[in-house]
Amino acid sequence: MLPVRCFTCGKVIANSWEDYKRRVEQGEAPAAVLDDLGVTRYCCRRMILAHVELVDVVAPYQ
Amino acid sequence: MDIDILELSDRSARFILSDVDAAFANGLRRTMLADVPTLAIDEVNIYNNTSVLYDEQVALRLALVPLLTSFDEFTPHEECSCEEGCPACTISLTLSVEAPMGEEKTVYSGDLVSADPKVKAADSNIPVVKLKGGQQLVLEAIAKMGYGHDHAKWQAGVACGYKNVPVINIEGCDLCEKCVEACPRDILALGEESAEVVDDRLLNCSLCKQCVEACGIDAISVSENDTSFIFTLESDGSYSAEELIINAVNTIRTKASTLDNILGEL
Ligand code: SF4
Ligand code: SF4
Ligand SMILES: [Zn+2]
Ligand SMILES: [Zn+2]
Repeated sequence: MLPVRCFTCGKVIANSWEDYKRRVEQGEAPAAVLDDLGVTRYCCRRMILAHVELVDVVAPYQ
Repeated sequence: MDIDILELSDRSARFILSDVDAAFANGLRRTMLADVPTLAIDEVNIYNNTSVLYDEQVALRLALVPLLTSFDEFTPHEECSCEEGCPACTISLTLSVEAPMGEEKTVYSGDLVSADPKVKAADSNIPVVKLKGGQQLVLEAIAKMGYGHDHAKWQAGVACGYKNVPVINIEGCDLCEKCVEACPRDILALGEESAEVVDDRLLNCSLCKQCVEACGIDAISVSENDTSFIFTLESDGSYSAEELIINAVNTIRTKASTLDNILGEL
């Protein structure tokens, strides 16, 4: 799961993840999606860009 | 002291604070970050957690969810007369979500149900954990009023900062255009008789002084105004940006009068 807040500045970013993932999968450029979602500082952008989502891999094992 | 608002929205603000010294501007910044109390989840009683995250991880994620706070209705826990927590400094929220068999379900911050309708998650769409079919999360969370200097979850202001208002002087310019090319932020342009600051762009100057280096005849100088600051701040959602500024100023005022009282007693 994406951390709830940015480690550096503390802005809540977890609520941008689902939109980001959906729109990037539909072929939009990640930079444009982040701008649009209001994630403008590079500390927050790296949180989302560098995230590897693993819940679906580990979830079945509780 | 003078305040000139440049931008003000629900969650962010940008203004010019003038006729104050750097100590005051910094005091305001630090108060917004550390000394404006907010509500955040501090204790979690887990009744059932069959999700993939450990109890502690779930508790941390819940704690970082900003809760809408009314500044006047709660007392910070450490200043409250109680020891264990009472209605004046704490509030209880519950969460109960189960994913139906064979289906996935995400638990969101909006699933937190509080005893007081005014206290709720500032954003209802923050994912807490994704549940696979049959997994369950049932818990009670106790939110306490606390200070940002104790934990980042109580930090009301996010990315609060300021910089000095730039002062750019151009004298004896020979229109060589080198500074215009050197400026990374498009602040400068050539005018009729000398290079000029483009209208409305002055505040975007980063004070990098690349224009000064580029100028061969020292016609341009860049300095900072020591008593004016461009302040930017963002709120995490517990307060609106406007409330955050007002609460920060009230906090400083209370601290100053407390200090005054102590000094008076000596
Ligand atoms: S100090 Fe830097 S940003 Fe400001 S005008 Fe000069 S080159 Fe541009
Ligand atoms: S570099 Fe100096 S001389 Fe050239 S345009 Fe800029 S201020 Fe004028
Ligand atoms: Zn950030
Ligand atoms: Zn109490």
